[in-house]
Amino acid sequence: MDFNEKFAALRKGLLEFLLLQIIAADKVYVADILRQLSETEFATQEGTLYPLLSKMRREGLLDYEWKESETGPPRKYYQLTPKGRDHLRDTLQYWAQINETVKRLGQK
Amino acid sequence: MNKVITINLAGNAYQLEEAGYDTLHEYLDSAADRLERNPDRAEILSDIERAIADKFRALLSSQKNVVETKEVASVIAEMGPIEADSGEAANPGPSGAGEAPGGIKMEDPANTAGPGPVPRRLYRIYDGAMISGVCNGIAAYFNIDPTFVRLGFVLLTFLWGTGLLVYIVIAIVVPEARSPEEKSAASGPPPTAQDFIRRAKEGYYEAMKHFPDKAARRDWNRKFKREMRGWRMSFDQQMRAHAEQYRQNWHRYWGGHGPVHPGMGFTLPFLSLLHGAMTVVFICALVSLLHTSALFGLALPPKVPVWLAAVVLFMTYGILSAPLKAARRVFYWGYGAWPLMYLVDATIWIAVVVVLVWLGMHFFPDVREAIHTIPALAQQAAHDIQSWWKNK
Repeated sequence: MDFNEKFAALRKGLLEFLLLQIIAADKVYVADILRQLSETEFATQEGTLYPLLSKMRREGLLDYEWKESETGPPRKYYQLTPKGRDHLRDTLQYWAQINETVKRLGQK
Repeated sequence: MNKVITINLAGNAYQLEEAGYDTLHEYLDSAADRLERNPDRAEILSDIERAIADKFRALLSSQKNVVETKEVASVIAEMGPIEADSGEAANPGPSGAGEAPGGIKMEDPANTAGPGPVPRRLYRIYDGAMISGVCNGIAAYFNIDPTFVRLGFVLLTFLWGTGLLVYIVIAIVVPEARSPEEKSAASGPPPTAQDFIRRAKEGYYEAMKHFPDKAARRDWNRKFKREMRGWRMSFDQQMRAHAEQYRQNWHRYWGGHGPVHPGMGFTLPFLSLLHGAMTVVFICALVSLLHTSALFGLALPPKVPVWLAAVVLFMTYGILSAPLKAARRVFYWGYGAWPLMYLVDATIWIAVVVVLVWLGMHFFPDVREAIHTIPALAQQAAHDIQSWWKNK
């Protein structure tokens, strides 16, 4: 069975959650995020990431600042806002709940 | 051998093979299309341009300064297609936004302003502004160079302070573009990479190459100054001739009284007040016209568009106020210390108008709103004239 295709929608929905986690750990720029994701099932591309990051910034979950880089022009480094941290906490809770449900159901 | 095209991406020049340029052009075009409804369109597009520029830079070295077609293709493949709005329901059907399968109305919270691309609105733009961003905002609205707008205001200021007055009113009335949505509404659809590419292709940047040439610039400056000087001199000459005429007429009618009438000092402020009040009535009429499409409650005749009524109103005001203006001018020139009188008089006039407009704005929210409709109106006027011209 092709899980890759079957869970495409699920992975897409989870991407925002993963971005919150990655950004919560450290200030990162887009290439960092792509690198971290590339080794996982959630590997993605700039074309997806930029619109999603913009949307999250619009919702007040994260913010960015410009930082100089040694090799090229300045880069946008993203970080979570307090609202983003709250959101991440709630999401983690909800995720634990879902995992619980998946494990519990059918066990008797 | 392949033709090479130079483009500007995120502030740096890159050379692409022609076929690669076409591929990139297509990619950015489709990105711009897909993001049409996205309020962060300008920002995402510039992010994408910057990301592409980064990837290009990694491909180049001192020995290699052209990005090949297959490299462009692989960079674009790496970027991936632009997702219209991740997290939003994944239904990229041609119908676009509408009813989701579940019958739930999809509503993008940040896009309730209206369907289609963000409508252009007049804002002040503080980035790169000289004073308060008025000229910048106007320039962005009409998509022209802010320098021309600034020059226009300066020239208008020579005409009895009109430019200054208009500037102050706009600075007070028009809000500043703060959020990204407002910023993108201020300049309409942002220039994208393909704009740069197109301009580069059309030789738009050729002229710039010549401008850093010092001799050419000095030459241009000199010519400009000479012309300005000539213009000013002829203006002065004309004014002096007028004054002489007035003085002679004055002598003819008032004989021995001399050029200065004793009551003049009191009459001038009165004239200024009258003129100022007239201007304010005119502005009120304009506001009521723009806001309600009727003149103080009087409906316009059918088939007369609002912009035409505004033009007629403007002309009426000009005709009515002309005698007052002329009378004031006689005073300046009849009176010996005319520059001083001119200043005092202009200050009174501007003060009256500014105070009344400010009061109007504070007590009538309509006024503020009406001024916002001016740009749309101007556009409609241009459009009407255009279609009229075509039908002819």
